[in-house]
Amino acid sequence: MIGIEVIDKPRLDGKRKALVLAEDRVGHYPEFREFFVRRFSLETNGLSRPAYVRAPSGMIYSLVFVGRSGEPFPDGIEIYALADALEPLSEGDVDTDLWALLSWMIDGIGGEWKVEDLDATGRLYQLPFLSDRG
Amino acid sequence: MNLDAAKAPGQCVHEEWPYEPRFKRVNGWRMHYIDEGSGDPVVLLHGNPAWGFLYRKFIKPLTSARRRVIVPDMIGFGLSEKPVREQAHSLDGHIANLTSLLRQLDIRNATMVCHDWGGPTGLGFALSNPDRVRALVIMSTWAWPLPPAEFHKRIFPWRMMHAPLVGPYLLGRHNALAGRGMYLSVVDRKRFRDEAQSAYENILPDPAARLLTWTWPRWIPLDDTARGLERFRSLERELKKSKFPTLLVWGREDEVFDHKTFATRFKELLPHAEGPELVTGRHFLQEDSGVEIAEKINNFLDRIDARHP
Repeated sequence: MIGIEVIDKPRLDGKRKALVLAEDRVGHYPEFREFFVRRFSLETNGLSRPAYVRAPSGMIYSLVFVGRSGEPFPDGIEIYALADALEPLSEGDVDTDLWALLSWMIDGIGGEWKVEDLDATGRLYQLPFLSDRG
Repeated sequence: MNLDAAKAPGQCVHEEWPYEPRFKRVNGWRMHYIDEGSGDPVVLLHGNPAWGFLYRKFIKPLTSARRRVIVPDMIGFGLSEKPVREQAHSLDGHIANLTSLLRQLDIRNATMVCHDWGGPTGLGFALSNPDRVRALVIMSTWAWPLPPAEFHKRIFPWRMMHAPLVGPYLLGRHNALAGRGMYLSVVDRKRFRDEAQSAYENILPDPAARLLTWTWPRWIPLDDTARGLERFRSLERELKKSKFPTLLVWGREDEVFDHKTFATRFKELLPHAEGPELVTGRHFLQEDSGVEIAEKINNFLDRIDARHP
């Protein structure tokens, strides 16, 4: 159960964008960049709008794609939690939401990239929320 | 045990690290190093995700043998400045950083002790500044363009660990390499956990400070499109021509840079090298056999002194 839902642009009234994860080089393995291009039609949409996903906690995240001269687009990705404007984030929820997002990404990339390898890597490095998943 | 690297740059309290912090600007970055003892210099170079602390057991044996010991923290690690953008880092840039430091200190007759990414950077310095270098000590590293080990080609756990977005999450948010990663790469894990692990974790207190822990793995060439490929080709080519007296020291239990593959390859490139001398140790062999390796370095340098009094 990955639990990521791609959604249309939500209402942003009363929200703030809280940066929770940044990647400077999404094309380090080209299939990662190709996944985002394919999934969000970035060849057509380019920089015109971010993508939005709803994660298992119910929090909505925006994915902002970053371009860099001389590099295929996107070169980077920034992930923002759309939090209530004046409320702190639940770091535990963000942690599990991001893990769900990574699982969704790996599942979408496919091929030699497998969610079970991501889970095994997370268990090897003892992510606390994976310890009771066997 | 008390180490609070978050207090301020250069402030670090640990009973095994009593050394005066020193700083130089290199290529616009603030580089931390220690400079202890006097005599011909021995430069101790760490890799990912360590810092000079990795060599804490080397310093007294070397200075007691009347050698000057210089231990830099690579830009991005330890008490050095930690750029927050991946594009700040490159193999050539790190070689140039080390070169800047050692030229500012006007280092001559140096022995370069190279481990992990301290290998390609330290060898890069040595091969382009041969007039400043006397000898090499090579431990658990590589200096050629092909993938260094089968381990580095596998998705689980290596390529997954630093994959796009996964790296910033696992190694950034969760500090996986400086904590669990190093723990898995020593032999005496209990001692490491009790005595040293926090010193590596706490020196990288925030996710952004850990950027180089997932950036360096991305510089390991896996195919002929890799960044840094030409530098590795030149390292291999120049190393083969070099005549530096060299000592190879390897961890017997090193399963990533296993000695049968890697020390053997260095022996092919440097047939005159002594060793490999095997000690108890996985990749971070300094943790398990620090004093023993320091003595091996002293003995190696004594033999050179005897040949060239």
